[in-house]
Amino acid sequence: MEQPPRPTLDSVTTIRDDGSRRFLFPADARGIFSLLRRASGLFLIAFYLSLPWIKVGGYPSVFLDVANRRFHLFGFTLAAQDAWLLFFLITGLGFLLFFLTALFGRVWCGWACPQTVFLDHLYRPIERWIDGDAVKRRALDAAPWTASKASKRLAKHGLYILVSAVITHLFLAYYVSVPEVWAMMRSSPGENWSAFAFIAVATGALYFNYAWFREQLCIIICPYGRLQSALQDDNSLIIGYDSRRGEPRGPVSTGKAKAVDGPSAFVAAHAGDCVACNRCVNVCPTGIDIRNGLQIECIGCAACIDACDEVMVKLHRPTGLVRYDSLNGFQGRKTRWFRPRIAVYLVLLVAGISVASWAFSTLRPANIGVTRMVGAPYIVDIHTVRNQFLARIVNKRSEPQRFVVSLKLTPPELTAIGFSGVVVVPPLAEIVEPLILQMPRPKYNGPFQVWVSVGDEAGSFHVRRQVEFLGPDPRLLREEEQENARQGKSN
Amino acid sequence: MNPNTPTPPTEDALRPHSYDGIQEYDKRLPNWWLFTFYATIAFWVGYWGYYEWLHAGPNNHQRIEKAMAAIEAEKLSATASTKLDNASLWEMSRNPVFVDAGKATFNSICATCHKESLRGVADGGIGANLMTQTWIHGGNPMDLYNTVTNGVLVKGMPAWGPVLGQKRIIEAVAYVLSHHHEGEPMSIVSTPAAK
Repeated sequence: MEQPPRPTLDSVTTIRDDGSRRFLFPADARGIFSLLRRASGLFLIAFYLSLPWIKVGGYPSVFLDVANRRFHLFGFTLAAQDAWLLFFLITGLGFLLFFLTALFGRVWCGWACPQTVFLDHLYRPIERWIDGDAVKRRALDAAPWTASKASKRLAKHGLYILVSAVITHLFLAYYVSVPEVWAMMRSSPGENWSAFAFIAVATGALYFNYAWFREQLCIIICPYGRLQSALQDDNSLIIGYDSRRGEPRGPVSTGKAKAVDGPSAFVAAHAGDCVACNRCVNVCPTGIDIRNGLQIECIGCAACIDACDEVMVKLHRPTGLVRYDSLNGFQGRKTRWFRPRIAVYLVLLVAGISVASWAFSTLRPANIGVTRMVGAPYIVDIHTVRNQFLARIVNKRSEPQRFVVSLKLTPPELTAIGFSGVVVVPPLAEIVEPLILQMPRPKYNGPFQVWVSVGDEAGSFHVRRQVEFLGPDPRLLREEEQENARQGKSN
Repeated sequence: MNPNTPTPPTEDALRPHSYDGIQEYDKRLPNWWLFTFYATIAFWVGYWGYYEWLHAGPNNHQRIEKAMAAIEAEKLSATASTKLDNASLWEMSRNPVFVDAGKATFNSICATCHKESLRGVADGGIGANLMTQTWIHGGNPMDLYNTVTNGVLVKGMPAWGPVLGQKRIIEAVAYVLSHHHEGEPMSIVSTPAAK
């Protein structure tokens, strides 16, 4: 039977020298962080999976309706033309991640990332339930194939696939809504071939990821995992080992200091607190030895903190030999929370979020476009100069809306035809109607701008568009009028 | 064995490069990584062979043609299936399905200038009066249809063909014709009656 790995700094524990995968069997950690992570993890799973079910403003709280190109986010309804908002939202969230990483290291990875959350609180518990603890799992893995092993493997992978399928279906519900998923599930695969293929491929990918790939994603693939080493510095909160207190490590000997003896006793004992029990290595889901210092494989899951604290409590030594602290803190220096990079990330974060908030505040439930009709740009007859437009009013809401189209009629001689009264636009639809602007011919003195705006009856919002009223050169008009007047007199 | 003791680097050659004093061992890539790499090569061979070598699948140009043909077919299917001539338009003008649909289009689009009463200039509008038997651009159903489709740009009547599509134009023409009857006397004047 293969022995538990001996992690070094020279190579990734989970890849053997021949390139093959070394599968890990992390032991159970018990303690406050495991408890808190389990609680927050289960909450997050419930949160991720319930979003398509909870309705805000008549739509699921997250419903990316690709078919209709309407994106419902917590009551906001974005149309395809609002996609530019996402740039600011995503940059804002990105800088939030920068900021949090510089301050608190990889809290995201250990506590909130779906990869960790689903793996640690859904798939690993299934494995633990069927195959037993780390020792049993390692033994079972090395054992020859028997009926018992086969049935256990069948049960475990069957459950994995089942759970993956459930997650995938709910993930699909983000895009087509729950009732639609249900309807698709009851019809034959041939009717919704692309959705069926999506479910099959995504279920397979999830199953592969959580059953086999696991920490490889965090260690080798995840770009944020690579990026974060550039975002952190010596003052970022990380999980580490207090080598000043722990070294030299060795077995428990008599005459060791006890917590009740006070801190000075440890210095006097001339021996480190680490008893080399290897618990921190055994519980690590990425197969590193935290005592080797901060490593890129660490996902900040805090399992080693719980493992070490448990041993320290048993030995009546102070906990926190492995703890959340900064690299400076582990060196006995003070952690500087406020550094230039914190300020820079904060400024970028605030800028991103402010622009995103401003951009979202400009969202209107309607849009208007005014375009000149094809043909002559203007029409002149005996009495008037006329400009003809087509106005397109878009209802971005999911219920019918009543709109009022208004114009700023300056100069006062300007008259408008079309859009008298209230315009009712069906849900998620648009209407196109002519809008005719007329000026009495003698009053036309050259091009000018006209504002056309659409709003609701209560006046709670409006969207404005500017069009230009065009006509012939006014001097030609005047000459023609004088000519006509002379002819009129002579007649 | 002390976990802090590094593996003797004799078996793994150091790569020659050094950045910021950091060097790396020449470790073997993970097998799954290599497998993925080889799989992409295999995929490329299949993909290239299928599309560029055997030309078995449609290329982008053919896909666009196909999509355009589908749009064109959709447009054609939206067209009235009957043959379009004076007689068929008169027939549609007596069919309430066409007339009701045409009324909706007329009142939302045409009425801006021609008024909901269809009286146009006679009712304070801009457009021609469509209730009289005097026509400017021809009073036969096909004349009306062509006028609406192609417009009379100098007078300000836009070409509605690209905006409304054939089906809605036919319906609107049927609605106008429903205010007239086949065989009624008609006269044609070259300028609008009211100025």
